[in-house]
Amino acid sequence: MVDRRNFIKLGIATAGAQLLPIRKVMAEDGTPLKHGGEDYSQFSGNQHVAVPSICGQCPSRCAILGYLDDGKLAKIEGHPDSIRNQGRVCAKGQAGAAKVYDPDRILTPLRRVGPRGQGEWEKISWDEALDELTTRLKKFRDAGTPEKFVFHHGWISDSAEKLIDDVFLASYGTGSIIKQTCQQQSARWTAHELTWGATADNWDFDNARYVLNFGSNVLEAHTNFVSLAKRLTKSTVDHDLKMMTFDVRLSNTAANSDRWIPIKPGTDLAVVLAMCNVVMSEDLYGRDGEKFIDFCLVSENYNALPGEKIVTLKKHLADYTPEWAEKISGVAAQDIRQIAREFAITKPACIISSRGAAAHYNGVQTERAIQMLAAITGNIDNPGGRCQAVSAQWTYPTGPKSKPVSRKLSFIDDIASTTALPQFGAGHSVLRRIKESGERPGLYMWYHHNPAYANGSTRETVEILKDESLLPFTVAVTPFYDETAALADLILPDATYLERYDIEAAVSPGQVPEYALRQPFVEPQGEARDFKDVCCELAKRLDIKLGFKSAEKFIDKACKLTIVVKKKARGFRGMQKIGVWHDKKAQPIYFAYRERIENATLADDGVLLDEATGVYWNWKTAEVESEAKAKSIGYLGTPGAFKGYVAQRVGYAAYSGFRPGILNKTGLFELYSPLLAAKGMPGLPTYVEIPDHVKMSDDEMILTTFKVNVQSLSNTGNGGWLTEIHHENPVWINPVSATARGIIDGDALIIKSPLGEVSGTAMVTPTVAPGVLAVSTHLGRWQGGRYASGNPAPFALGDHRHDEHQWWQAGGTHANWIIPDNPEPVSGQQCWMDTVVTLEKASS
Amino acid sequence: MHELTWGLPVIAYFFLAGMGAGAVTVSGSVLLRKGGFGASRFSVARCGALIGPIPVMLGTFLIVFELGQPLRAGNLFHLINLSPMSIGSWFLNIFIILSVLYAMTFMLPGSSPGDRFSQVRRGLAWVLVPLGIGVAVYTGIMLGAMPARPFWNSPILAALFTLSALSSGVASIILAGVVFRRKSKDVAIRSDYENSSYLLITSDALLIAGELLVIFLFLLFGHLTIGDIKYAMLAILPGGQMALLFWGLVVGVGLLIPLIIELFQVMPKLLHNREFKTIVSLEVAVPLAILIGGFTLRYTIVVAGQITAPTTL
Amino acid sequence: MSNNSKPVTNRRAFVQKLVGGVAATTVASSAVALSSAETPPEGKKAKLKSYAMLIDTRRCIGCHTCSVSCKSEFDVPLGVTRSWVEYTEKGTYPNVSRHFLPRLCNQCRHPQCVDVCPTGATYKRPQDGIVVVDSGQCIGCKYCIQACPYDARFLNPETKVAEKCDFCIHRVSKGLVPSCVNSCIGEARIFGDISDPNSEISRLLTTNPTTVLRPGKGTEPQVYYIGADHSDEHENNRGWYDVRITTHRKEKGRR
Ligand SMILES: Nc1nc2c(c(=O)[nH]1)N[C@H]1C(S)=C(S)[C@@H](COP(=O)(O)OP(=O)(O)OC[C@H]3O[C@@H](n4cnc5c(=O)[nH]c(N)nc54)[C@H](O)[C@@H]3O)O[C@H]1N2
Ligand SMILES: Nc1nc2c(c(=O)[nH]1)N[C@H]1C(S)=C(S)[C@@H](COP(=O)(O)OP(=O)(O)OC[C@H]3O[C@@H](n4cnc5c(=O)[nH]c(N)nc54)[C@H](O)[C@@H]3O)O[C@H]1N2
Ligand code: SF4
Ligand code: SF4
Ligand code: SF4
Ligand code: SF4
Ligand code: SF4
Ligand SMILES: [Mo]
Repeated sequence: MVDRRNFIKLGIATAGAQLLPIRKVMAEDGTPLKHGGEDYSQFSGNQHVAVPSICGQCPSRCAILGYLDDGKLAKIEGHPDSIRNQGRVCAKGQAGAAKVYDPDRILTPLRRVGPRGQGEWEKISWDEALDELTTRLKKFRDAGTPEKFVFHHGWISDSAEKLIDDVFLASYGTGSIIKQTCQQQSARWTAHELTWGATADNWDFDNARYVLNFGSNVLEAHTNFVSLAKRLTKSTVDHDLKMMTFDVRLSNTAANSDRWIPIKPGTDLAVVLAMCNVVMSEDLYGRDGEKFIDFCLVSENYNALPGEKIVTLKKHLADYTPEWAEKISGVAAQDIRQIAREFAITKPACIISSRGAAAHYNGVQTERAIQMLAAITGNIDNPGGRCQAVSAQWTYPTGPKSKPVSRKLSFIDDIASTTALPQFGAGHSVLRRIKESGERPGLYMWYHHNPAYANGSTRETVEILKDESLLPFTVAVTPFYDETAALADLILPDATYLERYDIEAAVSPGQVPEYALRQPFVEPQGEARDFKDVCCELAKRLDIKLGFKSAEKFIDKACKLTIVVKKKARGFRGMQKIGVWHDKKAQPIYFAYRERIENATLADDGVLLDEATGVYWNWKTAEVESEAKAKSIGYLGTPGAFKGYVAQRVGYAAYSGFRPGILNKTGLFELYSPLLAAKGMPGLPTYVEIPDHVKMSDDEMILTTFKVNVQSLSNTGNGGWLTEIHHENPVWINPVSATARGIIDGDALIIKSPLGEVSGTAMVTPTVAPGVLAVSTHLGRWQGGRYASGNPAPFALGDHRHDEHQWWQAGGTHANWIIPDNPEPVSGQQCWMDTVVTLEKASS
Repeated sequence: MHELTWGLPVIAYFFLAGMGAGAVTVSGSVLLRKGGFGASRFSVARCGALIGPIPVMLGTFLIVFELGQPLRAGNLFHLINLSPMSIGSWFLNIFIILSVLYAMTFMLPGSSPGDRFSQVRRGLAWVLVPLGIGVAVYTGIMLGAMPARPFWNSPILAALFTLSALSSGVASIILAGVVFRRKSKDVAIRSDYENSSYLLITSDALLIAGELLVIFLFLLFGHLTIGDIKYAMLAILPGGQMALLFWGLVVGVGLLIPLIIELFQVMPKLLHNREFKTIVSLEVAVPLAILIGGFTLRYTIVVAGQITAPTTL
Repeated sequence: MSNNSKPVTNRRAFVQKLVGGVAATTVASSAVALSSAETPPEGKKAKLKSYAMLIDTRRCIGCHTCSVSCKSEFDVPLGVTRSWVEYTEKGTYPNVSRHFLPRLCNQCRHPQCVDVCPTGATYKRPQDGIVVVDSGQCIGCKYCIQACPYDARFLNPETKVAEKCDFCIHRVSKGLVPSCVNSCIGEARIFGDISDPNSEISRLLTTNPTTVLRPGKGTEPQVYYIGADHSDEHENNRGWYDVRITTHRKEKGRR
């Protein structure tokens, strides 16, 4: 990185040439070489100063050590003490310093001078920027419409979400918050909420012996990438773990599996149901399955006996034969049968899934079917199976005691008409809803999010963002000039993840929570400021007493409030030294649902047994007016009753059960969902075909996008060393499909959907299923700096060093121009993998 | 196409150094020869001596600036090791010094066959003949020594480069002769001109024939062997990337056509002792063709070596 | 960076100084280079080591972390690489495979790069077998780049001297494993002393079938592989199946 190492002081010593590493003394004989934890300059031999922190370039949040050479960030490596990523980071993590020293970084607040989107900017001071914001925010508040301040964010840290959303915005009075946490999660999370009542899952690769994969590319991309990839790889070789991967193309995960089973896009549901059929019809569920089914709800009957449940499942699945599934998915019935048998009898076995299975029209059903397959084979929450995720539980300051009643603009939740369970919102379609609703945000601010690039229906998204009648004033908070920032009225330069404090609470693959602190390696470059600090400053200007002056103080307080951190990790100072902490004596958390609940607890004040469902619940915590009312309308009849959930009766005992998260479900593992049934949808996982796919003609194909290991969404294109590796994304096409269209390798293509067309280059390869076009989803950028897009940002600096050596031309295909914004009907999940397209050779 | 590690400057150097070294070597051997050239011996030798050092120095200049660190070129002379480049550099260095001295013995006022420098001149010639061959040969060895470059990896290359260097040397002497000797005021030179031309052309034809033989062996060897070399050879066989250049310019223009013309010129005298007559246009065209061929030979070989690779990993 | 003016890369300044300084000291340092056996610490008999790397490709996930960590360790400019990963795809749908082959200098026992280096800048350290480039000596003639049968070397566009993997001697000499080994997600890279029969690498080498790259070149590489796929695009001539090699380097072809 430019200017990152200071060699000047070496100048004097230079003449000797002896400082070249060649002449270094050897290590002592016999001393085993250490892995990480220390680092030395290649040039001077000086030891670097190590600072622990947390990577922030993708949702995985790996623990890192940064090495400083004379105050400059020289290198990053994995934190050797982390029980999550175990001393490893990925290529993006390694290249992190590029973020800090990116010559295209925005270093001062910028205000648009020309028309919106024209790219003409003036540098302004923070004072001016904050004055402008304060004036506007005061105006909304004084008019009684604080909700006109709309805040939209992508993946952000645990502490940022708390400080900004729950404290600052809540104290200001706006609830117009769009957490576009991730466009992957809503279908899977909704399915999980419906079944086991929590969101994230964890795959226990340390103990698994068999992995059945539906559309997860865990060896290249996952929200817990390094931690899982490392464990999976180890188990594959050292424990002979067997893995079967269903994917529409040979991902690296499929390549490292024992078998890649190509599948027709969007038909995983059929295969999973057929596997359930095999397990049930051949009585392969075994003791583990039977025991687990005890905790499952499989029909409206909450009190069904185990035997009855098995009959119900068998009956429901009877028609989903492998032969039936073969016709739909193209996967041979024989393979389905064989893999189902292997999966059922190998213990423990873990079924994994991701966007490949879930980013479809039938995503929630698919994920529910996957939960069902895991359930009936007894592979839920067990060592080596599919577990409820475990992560650190932080306690944060909550800001002013009395907060205004939170109000939000109604378009934010206005997806109920098209979406059965909209609790995760549908961030990807929120801009369109602004347009349709007639409501206008007064100030639309986005943070850590790049909707112009990341959403579908790119043209419409860009038009809406440009339209001043829809969005009168827009603010981008980002260190980088990305596609969306280019359309803002005001840009606030944020600190990068290497320049700020944060708390992270990511999933622990070993089922033991790890507490993690992010801290700055270097001061923010230029005038960049951590947006959390900016919020504190805004609060001051708005006369809101948050109770802390800065992000650092907020985190310091959280370290005090979080008892284990305060007592065992020596609080903030302790965390600053070690970066990550876990309780060495803690046991991995499995079978949490089987914990027996003592009678004393059940006898607590306000606890009732809901006879209909077997749920013990506390009407007081559920905020029901009276016991009588609670009794009369019952657990299911009380909105928000789940907040009072205490235990679930199974047989004659009370268990902790599968505690509901944000939906009013019981403590049972709900294979049958009364909530869905009430919405007129099938209660048990049922085959749903994708309407667009059924009516496809022969010359149409299905477009799939995927992530690659060295890029993170639109977040790493400015990393020269990464873009050097991935800067071309040819369109994968099977020889059969190619030949039928007269296409050969390297041909220029035009891909069309009703939204328009994009161009690409054909890569004719047997590593993708016929009928599928696959293209990576990080390129075709038009902003993002010189490495990502070829366009330097406004006020960019020269980087002689890299500019001279950049040998590729930014380019590639961005499929989102032709992928429609298309929410899945249950959760609102964007259906990324469903787009039907036609294909032509470009006439050159 | 691959990025070339060694590009035009190196190729030009190989050609120029070969030609210059060839010219000096021919000059030396003509000078040291007893009969044959008769009175023109000195003037032929002078031609070679005077033109020889220039291309060598020019080529050397080119490669020094082709170095990543030209200012460190001196590091080549801190030690001698078995690297062909190390040995070659010493050869080259000494060659340049001696060939310049040698040239000076021809340039001093009044230099003539029996002048006071003749002993020095002969002494230098004795050294320069092997040294010149050394300079020519080492470029071939340098390329031939690397299993990493199957196309180059045979000792035949050294022979080919040496013959080609000598042939370009002769060609350059013939060309220089046309300019400097043909119209010479010196009657002896003029009278012997035809005779020396005959000898030069005959030896050139021999060299070319030798080159053709070596190329034949090169191809045959490549064809008969299996593995890397065989596949590398495809680059110059019909259909290969370098085939047109190789067969057209190197073999056709640079070797076959000159050989045929030269044979037509010298055969009558060689076989039937008829009178030999030089033709100016041919005296210019044939050496030019040979030089073009010589350059293209280096070009094709240096490039083909770098665009081909071992075929297994 | 806040003052908007950027100095030329310091590394280049460093090299310029180095180049300047070298004029005066090359004689001395080349003497060192030639003798190259550093005197071991007083009073200790140096036991000669033989460092080697074993890459277990069964554990490699093709993540390029090694490539990038190597770049970051040495601040390697764009366009050149000490360490890279090749993808080998072959087969006919649906029987296809993709294997990953991490590459680096093989630290050959018989390094051609050393044989051809005219200045002695490239040499093999007798104490541990690592082949290194003395960047203070190298003249940038590129002969070694031609001679390496593995395309493991390059001319650094900034320093203008030959460069390649040096097994991270600056780390190894401080008792740390090389950077790529430290960062490898799959733990596919094992580094150690093969002259010590008890080292992990010795144990793995003796208990697993291993291969080296281009054994026919006689270089005797000290980078060993478990499960390497040696397929080459050249096999496409046979017409049985397609082989596609992707290198992710500037130079797309494999040499
Ligand atoms: N390197 C890297 N890592 C990342 C990210 C990144 O951008 N880069 N992003 C992070 C984020 S936000 C997320 S959400 C996760 C996403 O992690 P994943 O969901 O694992 O990754 P994707 O590439 O989105 O999709 C996974 C696979 O689905 C396949 N697929 C497509 N259609 C189908 C189908 O119909 N059936 C089946 N069985 N497979 C199909 C694709 O070919 C692809 O290989 O990764 C996270 N980690
Ligand atoms: N076709 C297709 N499209 C997809 C996907 C797909 O699989 N296929 N995947 C989808 C998924 S799963 C997701 S999660 C979304 C992700 O899409 P986004 O949520 O937009 O995430 P990023 O692309 O990472 O963009 C984050 C932006 O934040 C900015 N940023 C980076 N670091 C910081 C920081 O420290 N502070 C601030 N304030 N800003 C920062 C950068 O400018 C970057 O452009 O993309 C979705 N888009
Ligand atoms: S997986 Fe994500 S969080 Fe972990 S090192 Fe890579 S980019 Fe950073
Ligand atoms: S480039 Fe440097 S190291 Fe390589 S052969 Fe030449 S002098 Fe030796
Ligand atoms: S791999 Fe190449 S550079 Fe490395 S030691 Fe062998 S010949 Fe030398
Ligand atoms: S050992 Fe060091 S220099 Fe060699 S490839 Fe690995 S990181 Fe790069
Ligand atoms: S870091 Fe390890 S797993 Fe990743 S590509 Fe390199 S060798 Fe393979
Ligand atoms: Mo995501």
